Amino acid sequence: MLRRDFLRNLVITTGGVTLGASFLASCGGSSSTSTSGGLIIGTPDKPVKLPVTTDAIADGLAEETGTLEILSWADYQNPESIAAFESKFGVKVSISIYDSEEAAIVKLRNGTFNPDLILGMTDTALARLVAADLLQPLNKSYIPNFGNVISGLQNPYYDQESQYTVPYVVYGNGIGYRRDRIDPEIFTSGNGYDVMWDAKYSGKAAVLDSYRDSISMAMFRAGKNDVNTGDADVLAQAGADLIALRGTLNPKVDILSYQEIPAGNRDIAGPMWSGDILSALMYLPEGTSADVLGFWYPENTITANDFFCITKKSKAPVLAHRFIDYMSDTDNALVNRSYVGYQPALESITAEMLLSTGAVSESLVDALITPERYASGQRLIALEPAVDQLWLDQWTAFTAG
Amino acid sequence: MTALQSQKTRRKFSTLHVIIWGYIIWSLVPVIIAVAYSFNDGRSRTVWQGFSFRWWFSDPNASLWHDDSLRNTISNSLILSFSTMLIVTPLGITLAIGAQRIIGRKSKVVQSLTAAPLITPEIVVGAALLLTFTQLFTMIPLGYTAQLLGNVTFSLSSVVVIVRARLVSIGSSFEEAARDLGATRFQALRYVLMPMLWPAVMASLVVVFATVIDDFVITSFLSSGVGSETVPLRIYSSVKGGATPALNALATLLVLTSFTVLILGLFGLSFWRKRHGEPGGLRAALSDITQADA
Amino acid sequence: MTKQPRLWAGLALPGSVWLIALFAVPFYAVACIAFGTIDPIFRDAVPQWNPLNWNFVQAQEILQSLINGPLQGVILRTIIYVVSAMSISFLIGFPIAYFLARHAGKRKLLMLVLIIVPFWVNYLMRMLAWVNLLSPSGLFSRYMNFFGVHYNWLDGSPITVILGLVYGYVPFLILPLYATLDRLDWRLIEAARDLGASSRDAFRLVTVPLARAGLVAAGVLIALPMFGDYYTNDLLSRSPSTEMLGNQIDFFLNSSTQPQRGALLVLAMSAILVVAMSFYLRSTNKQAKQTLR
Repeated sequence: MLRRDFLRNLVITTGGVTLGASFLASCGGSSSTSTSGGLIIGTPDKPVKLPVTTDAIADGLAEETGTLEILSWADYQNPESIAAFESKFGVKVSISIYDSEEAAIVKLRNGTFNPDLILGMTDTALARLVAADLLQPLNKSYIPNFGNVISGLQNPYYDQESQYTVPYVVYGNGIGYRRDRIDPEIFTSGNGYDVMWDAKYSGKAAVLDSYRDSISMAMFRAGKNDVNTGDADVLAQAGADLIALRGTLNPKVDILSYQEIPAGNRDIAGPMWSGDILSALMYLPEGTSADVLGFWYPENTITANDFFCITKKSKAPVLAHRFIDYMSDTDNALVNRSYVGYQPALESITAEMLLSTGAVSESLVDALITPERYASGQRLIALEPAVDQLWLDQWTAFTAG
Repeated sequence: MTALQSQKTRRKFSTLHVIIWGYIIWSLVPVIIAVAYSFNDGRSRTVWQGFSFRWWFSDPNASLWHDDSLRNTISNSLILSFSTMLIVTPLGITLAIGAQRIIGRKSKVVQSLTAAPLITPEIVVGAALLLTFTQLFTMIPLGYTAQLLGNVTFSLSSVVVIVRARLVSIGSSFEEAARDLGATRFQALRYVLMPMLWPAVMASLVVVFATVIDDFVITSFLSSGVGSETVPLRIYSSVKGGATPALNALATLLVLTSFTVLILGLFGLSFWRKRHGEPGGLRAALSDITQADA
Repeated sequence: MTKQPRLWAGLALPGSVWLIALFAVPFYAVACIAFGTIDPIFRDAVPQWNPLNWNFVQAQEILQSLINGPLQGVILRTIIYVVSAMSISFLIGFPIAYFLARHAGKRKLLMLVLIIVPFWVNYLMRMLAWVNLLSPSGLFSRYMNFFGVHYNWLDGSPITVILGLVYGYVPFLILPLYATLDRLDWRLIEAARDLGASSRDAFRLVTVPLARAGLVAAGVLIALPMFGDYYTNDLLSRSPSTEMLGNQIDFFLNSSTQPQRGALLVLAMSAILVVAMSFYLRSTNKQAKQTLR
C-alpha cells in the first residue's frame, strides 16, 4: 500500500548505482588470506596432542561474579541443575542455543556468539575450533571431578591429555520409533536399516538434520562402514539412497524428534541420537506410558561423545571450570541426566546402574551405551575441507527436495 | 434505476457481502482463537483445558510475567522499535523534502535509491546486510546495533512515502507566500512547512514502530543470539519445538502493543486535524497511515 | 536556469548517504563475496574488493551446478508456489476490493478498518495461529476429521504452504487493489452502461483495462516478498519436499559454511527480480499514460 505510489510514478532502470573501486580499495585491500597451517585432526589410530598457544589460567583464583554464558544445544541441561549451580555460586547462567556445529563455528569466529563455555561439540568440530584459536587450555586443578570421567575417555585420541576438553555425554546412533505403532521385530528380521526406507511410514518419518549422521546411515544400510570416507562413489550412492528415502517417506528433516515422537506426530526417526529417545520421556503427554517409546540399536553404527570446552576470550573462566566440575560430579550428573536423557561420560554411571536404579526403563535398554558398544561403534572424524565439501554436496541435494 | 435493476444490484450486494464477511472471519478468527488459547489452563496450545491466567502471570516459572527470557524479548522489541522510530523519522523527513525539490539528474538517482528498498524482498536486504556487517563493516557487531541499522534502512523508504504524500497535499503555496513576505527558504521551511508536516511525522512514527516491532527477516539475520532476540524471533524459534501457551500470550501482547500505538496515532492525528482546521477527522487519519483513501 | 539551492541537496544528503552506505554498498559486498574466493580451511568467504579481479568463472560454475542440479527443483517449486498463491490471492482479494470500492456505501469505513486489521497483526502470529489449528490435535484438523478427512496438514504439504502464503499475503494485496479501484472514474462505467453494454461487458471492456496498471502493480507488490519467503514454509512444513529458494539462501548463509553460495543465490535472486520488476514497471508506466489520456 505504501509502495503503490512509488510504483505508479517510477521507472527503475536496471543500471543501479555504480561505485568507484577506489572507494573500497581503502577498506579491503587484496583478497588473500593466510590459513593457520591446516587442520590438526586426531584419529583412533593416530591420536594427536593439540598445540597450545595460550596459558591456562593460574591456580587458586576466585570465582567471578555476574553471569556465566554458555553455548549449548537446546534442552541440553536440566533447568534444576542450572538453578542449583546458580544458587551455589551466586551467579546467573545465560544459555545461547545452536543447532548445528558448522553454524556455531561460523558465529563463534565472526564474534556473534561470545560464550564462556561451549557445551556439546564433538571432535569433528574440535580441529576447527583449535585452528581458529577459539579455545583456552584447561586448568584441571579447578576440576577435581575429572577423575570421575570414564577412564578410557580421559586421554582421548582427538585431544591427548585432555588439554582443551572434558567429556560430557556418550551416545550412539540408532532408530527411534513408537513401539505401539511399529513392531520391534521388524528391525531384527533382516537389514534393520531397511525399515527407514519402507513406504509404510510415509508422512510419519523424520531424518536427522545432521549431514554426517544421516549420510552415514545410508552408508551403513549399504554395508559400507567407513563413515569418514572420501570415496565419491560411495558418497554418491549414499546420497542417491537418501533421495530415494525422501521420495518414499516424505520425511521431516530436523532435530526435534525427541519431542515429536512422544507427541505422536511421528512414528519413526532415523538416525536418532540415543540420548534423544531417553529425553523423549519428558515430552510424553499425561497418561501415556513410557512403553510406547522404542529404540533400535544397530550392530553397525556410530558411537560418539561430546565435550565441554572453554573459550579463549571467556570473561568467567574460573566459573566455567567450576561448571564443568559441577556437572562431572556423579550425583549432579544423574540429576542432569534425568532431564537431558543422554548418558553422562562418567565411570560410575553405567548401563547396569541406570537400569538397576530404575532411572531408565527396560523397554529402552537399547538406548544405553555399554563399553562394548562404545568400542565397536564407528567414530566420526573431522574431514579435510575438500572431502567435507563432497559430503555437503550430497546433503544439499537431499535437502533441496 | 428501475425496480428490476435495483433488485439485481441488491442480489449482487449479498454475494459480495458474504465474500467480504467471509474473508474477515477467515482472516481474524484464527488469530482470535490463538489469543483465546493463551488463557488455556494446560500446556497444550491446541486442546482446551480450562480458563486460567497461568501463562500470563500465575505460573511462577513459565508465565510471561515470571519468565526472564520472555520479558527480555519484549524489552528488546520495544527498545529496537523505539530507537528505530526516533532515528528514521528525522532522516526520512529531510530526505523526502530534499528529494522532492532537487531537480535534474540527481533527482532521478535519489528517487531510485529511495524506491529500491520498497521493492526488494526482505531476505535479500537481510542477507546483504549480514554479509556486509561480517565482511566489510566489521566494526559493527551483530545484534542490537546491526538490527537497528538494518531496520532503519528498510523503513526509510516508508517514511519518505508518507512524508511525500503529505508534501504533495500541502502544496507549495504556503511557502511561496512566506517567501513573498520576506522569509528565506530555510525560514519558510522551518516556520511554515514543518508545522504543517506534523501529521506525516505522527504517521511515520506510528507506522515505523508497528513495522519494526513486527519485523522478522532482517532482525533475524542480524541477531546475535539470546541477547538480541525480539518477540517475532522468539515466536519463530519456539513454534518449532514444544512451546507453551505462554507463546500465545507473548504474541497477543505483541499485537496489543502495535494496535495500541496505531490507535493512539489515529486519534492523535484526528485530534490534530480538528485543531488545525484540516478536514477529515478519523477517516483522514486512517488515510494518512495507510495511504489509502477511506 | 536557476541555481539549485543547496538547502535541498543538503537536506537530502544524510538520507541518501545512509541508503548508499547501507543499501547500495551491501549489494556490492554481496557481489564481492559471490565473485571472491574461499578460505581453504574454514571455507569462509574471502571477498574480492577489486571488481577487476572478480572470479566470474568459478561463480558461473557453482551457479550452474546449483541451478541445474539440486536447486532446479527448488526454483521451479518456488515459481509454482508463488504463481499459485498469487492467483488464489487475486481470486479472493479482487472481489473484496471491488466491493469495498464500489458498493460498500455506509459501512465503508468499518469494513475498511476490519480488512486492514489483519494487515497490522504480526505475520508470525497469524502463522502461529494456523500452526495451532492445523496440528493433529488442533481445532481445524479435528473439524476435518469429522468429515472423514484425515490429512496431516503440517507434514510437508504443498497445499498448506500455498494456502499459508495466501493467508499471509492477501491483506497486502487488498489494500493496493482497493486503492486502485477506488480511484477509477466510475462515470466511465456508467457511460458504457448507458451506451448499452451489459454489466459483464462493461466490466471486461472498461473496468479491467482501466485498472490493469494498478492490478499489475499490486500483484508484483506481493509476488516479490513471496518469492523470498522462507519462514512460511519453515513454520508450516519442515520437509524438503516444500523447500523454497529463500530456505536455501537462509541455509547457506545461516546454517552452513558455504556463504559464497548464499551470496551467489542472493545475487541471482536480485537479478531475476530486478529484471522482472523493471519489465512490469515499464508496462505499468505505459498503462498509466494511457489511462490519463
